[in-house]
Amino acid sequence: MVFNSLTFMVFFALVLILHAMPFSWKTKKVNLLLASYLFYAAWNPPFIVLLWISTVVDWYAAQKLVHAQKQSARRFWMLLSVVVNLGMLAYFKYGTFMLENFQLLMAGFGIEYTPPAWDIILPVGISFYTFATLSYTLDIYLKRAEPARNFLDYALFVTFFPHLVAGPIMRPTELVPQFAEERKANAGMVRFGLALMTLGLFQKVVLADTFLGPAAEKVYDGAAAPGMLDAWMGTLAFSGQIFSDFAGYSTTAIGAALCLGFAMPDNFRFPYAAVGFSDFWRRWHITLSTWLRDYLYIPLGGNRHGPARTYMALMLTMLLGGLWHGASWTFVVWGGLHGLYLAAERMLRSRFSAYTPGPLALFGFALLTYALINVTWVFFRADGFGKAWTVLSGMFGANAGAKPILDTYHLLAVGTIVGLIVATHWRMRAQTLEMAVAKVPPALLSAALAVMAFAVIIAQGDGSAFIYFQF
Amino acid sequence: MPSSTSNSENSQVRPGFVRLTASDRPGVAQPVPERDIPAMPWGPIWLGALALLLVLFIGWEWHWRAFGAEPTYRNSDGQWAQQRRRIDHGEGGKTVLIGSSRVLFDVQLPVWEKALGERPIQLALEGTSPLPVLEDLAADPDFTGRLLVGIAPDVFFTGFRYRGKVVDYTRKQGPSQRTGTWISQTLLEPYFAFYESDFALGTVLERQAWPLRPGMTRDLHVRRLSVSALDRNTRMWSKLVDDPAYAKLAQDTWAERFNGPPPPFIDTPEKLRKVIDEQIEKTAKAVAALNARGVEVVFLRAPSNGGYYAFEQKVFPRETTWDALLRRTGAPGIHFEDYPELQGYALPEWSHLSASEADRFTAALAPLAEQEFNRLNTPGN
Repeated sequence: MVFNSLTFMVFFALVLILHAMPFSWKTKKVNLLLASYLFYAAWNPPFIVLLWISTVVDWYAAQKLVHAQKQSARRFWMLLSVVVNLGMLAYFKYGTFMLENFQLLMAGFGIEYTPPAWDIILPVGISFYTFATLSYTLDIYLKRAEPARNFLDYALFVTFFPHLVAGPIMRPTELVPQFAEERKANAGMVRFGLALMTLGLFQKVVLADTFLGPAAEKVYDGAAAPGMLDAWMGTLAFSGQIFSDFAGYSTTAIGAALCLGFAMPDNFRFPYAAVGFSDFWRRWHITLSTWLRDYLYIPLGGNRHGPARTYMALMLTMLLGGLWHGASWTFVVWGGLHGLYLAAERMLRSRFSAYTPGPLALFGFALLTYALINVTWVFFRADGFGKAWTVLSGMFGANAGAKPILDTYHLLAVGTIVGLIVATHWRMRAQTLEMAVAKVPPALLSAALAVMAFAVIIAQGDGSAFIYFQF
Repeated sequence: MPSSTSNSENSQVRPGFVRLTASDRPGVAQPVPERDIPAMPWGPIWLGALALLLVLFIGWEWHWRAFGAEPTYRNSDGQWAQQRRRIDHGEGGKTVLIGSSRVLFDVQLPVWEKALGERPIQLALEGTSPLPVLEDLAADPDFTGRLLVGIAPDVFFTGFRYRGKVVDYTRKQGPSQRTGTWISQTLLEPYFAFYESDFALGTVLERQAWPLRPGMTRDLHVRRLSVSALDRNTRMWSKLVDDPAYAKLAQDTWAERFNGPPPPFIDTPEKLRKVIDEQIEKTAKAVAALNARGVEVVFLRAPSNGGYYAFEQKVFPRETTWDALLRRTGAPGIHFEDYPELQGYALPEWSHLSASEADRFTAALAPLAEQEFNRLNTPGN
């Protein structure tokens, strides 16, 4: 189920009540596990089997890995976990993509190949929970983590509903210890957790779905080629939409976990205030970027084997990171562009290592970073290279004579909201949300919460899925 | 001091940040995250917020009731799916109504039930060709009843699908979505007038009289026209009868389509003919599949008048559309022009009957439909 649905509201209220009852800690954990399976099964019940497979295989592999004496045996159990998890991901997420590309490759050699029908549904959240379970066996293999003391704690780590389908991608060391001893949410945690959930739902239902999504759709899903203003505003709208959608999900997830007494990590840190791309990736989808860094970039050599190897590792990590988002070459290009940006930044930083920008230059670099990130969003949003080139052409003024697409309302909405998002990020770039909240007068907080909740209600969202569910 | 859900790592605080994340700790085990709770009076803050929310909520509900709205069931995809599932769950032998908004508004289920003793299943979709539903029913062996197919020429013969995804939605609808529809129908829809897609924040703001951007024309968008019961029995919203300005707005919305350029896929007579022929061909195939299973199909052309009728006569003349459809499918049809009892009704916005007129129309239609269905059932036909 999705957070922005009536079903979730009823479900969450029942979970909160159940969790507050005077049951033993073990019973409460069993309740949470069952609730988490219900949360997942409510979307498409059969796919819960995949979740069980992933859970059991990694538990078993980790147990074997811990008790293995030889390095070769440890490696075998680690590889088993990797192959099973990535195999499931490859089958469900990339099966069609691989077949289509194989067909194209054969056609390139003049061989006509018709693949069998491959009508499979992508299980929601598979990219997220396979990465979470993988991190369990990998951390144990790398001797960074101890195995969970019991299967219940481990299964709950994998399945805990706030992070299950769209992150933040949790590491075992972040969550398993929280299940070891009884945790009870105090009134402050519940109330602040609910405030975070209100903010998260406001970002998703009001900003992303009501104001920004429709403008991006008009530009990206319509047949008309956009002029410069429409292309930029449509892309800016998407930049605001994807942030509000995904950060909204993360904020709601963090709030839900907090209401139950658990802490989840930040997944966003005001990313549109980033100065440079390494800074951007320390602020955007932090739990994915750090997962890729720790389990892909560093094992590939990281920056320990000279510049050429570093750039190769960087590029490969970003290309695969792009592919993680979706089975399409446009996502690969999106990742590749980020890889190129990061490589270029690395070169510039080493060449101008003595340069320290002043405040104005810093702001200028932040704007440049944001503009270049918007270029990458074109490939992320467009449903193919044709549309991506059309929008990019528009952004660089090549669609002369294009008819206007966005009306005054959409231009105003996008300009105002995206402007406010970027300005807020800049102002908050070195703060946390909690720091800012602590400075706001209580009456103003009351008003802000009421207005956000009211906007969520009157926006009458249709319970549309979060964008990252498809990844 | 703010409280925290875990131990902080003040010794590692990076300048400018008060909280570390995994991005600050490469290649190591990530510790239990910390979450600060700002030291604020959260109880009074929430009390104040809830009080203000209540005031805003009551004001918003009052505003829409003053506008003439009343609580009604939402004409949602979830509601349509509920009705569609009745065919799979033992009611496949019933009469089913498909079509566009004219069948939805004009055929009243209680009146039909009173006349013929059976309440049909209403599956018509506003602004949407019935073809996808027709094809869906043709492929469903559970459906063995009778089918009345409404034909609104500009929608049917162009294949226009405002809600074309609803069949696919029904197939893929998960338990969470079904539960959501049920909660909405139980706790919200019968009680709140504001809870209607036409009154949603984005819709309301978009419809304000914003200055026109050079090179663009104003798009009026179709407004709310109906109220709906739990089983999708739908009646024209009384505001269209009581408020002439609102009825005029609905007429202007239709007129915008008549006077504007045709969409690119039918912007020449050849393209339009090709699209019409495609729709007829697909319909004939689906009807043949239904007939082979013993399902009787009757087409219905419900009334229109004023500017709408003139537009239909000009672009979709009867001989090349309706008559061609009946010839190709071999199915009988009821065209309002052929029956005096189906003429002379009040259509406040040219396209749909008012609620009271819909009752009268259905009472006249039901025996005619029954006659056609029975004629089909007669040996030799």
